Amino acid sequence: MEVIRLNITGLARYRGREGQLSFLLHRLTGLGTLLFLSIHILDTATVYFFPSLYEHAIDLYRSTPLMLGEIILVFCVIYHGVNGARIAIFDLLFPGKWNIKTQRRSAIWVLTIAILLWLPAAYLMARSLLIHNFGF
Amino acid sequence: MTTSIEELASRQVEVPEGLESVAWKWMRYSGLLLIPLVWGHVLIQDVLVGVHRIDLDYVAMRWASLGWRAYDFALLAFAFAHGVNGLRQVLNDYITSEKTRRWLAWLLLAFWLVLSLIGAAAIVGGVRVP
Repeated sequence: MEVIRLNITGLARYRGREGQLSFLLHRLTGLGTLLFLSIHILDTATVYFFPSLYEHAIDLYRSTPLMLGEIILVFCVIYHGVNGARIAIFDLLFPGKWNIKTQRRSAIWVLTIAILLWLPAAYLMARSLLIHNFGF
Repeated sequence: MTTSIEELASRQVEVPEGLESVAWKWMRYSGLLLIPLVWGHVLIQDVLVGVHRIDLDYVAMRWASLGWRAYDFALLAFAFAHGVNGLRQVLNDYITSEKTRRWLAWLLLAFWLVLSLIGAAAIVGGVRVP
């Protein structure tokens, strides 16, 4: 618990600006996606192991809280992908470009691109939620 | 003379080859591959098809094509291994004892193996009619 408390106060006090924000977002979106993926492997595996349970699992995904979660998940997947591409491209092709000025700019670009890619997807998923769960 | 933090350049270091350097490369190459794989999967299933049109028949129809089974198999293999190794890296930032790190790595390896086998069995076995 001490470790967690120290980390949370450290995160609040450390003013790392864009770099800290992308570090945090990359971790949270990655861990969130992994949590979903672990569950998703198991729910999909029911089609073979317990096929009668699959419809029940899908029913849960059709509920409003989980459809909202799905919209957040898609943001996680998009942000983690765009930011991961930034890390991979700079690490593999331009390692000399890991300086604060370039990375501040690229971190802002990454967030902007991720939001722009997410918005149309979020719109379509929100529309589907309204149509199916609220009778629009 | 002082240098502002913005002007500090990166420095090159020699990294010894080993499991950790393989894991480092794995995260980058698998990550780049996962962008088209995962985004394609999410775009089709979550955004265009939607969870209200997904059921056993839909999965059976999709898996009738060997190509989509191979696609899902690649997703399972690359995404889950990328994710579990990522979790290991995150946990290693908070765990400093080498002993704990080692048994945690084994625990995560077992977790990865069990779920991968369950997922692979389902993709190979396919949909069974209840």
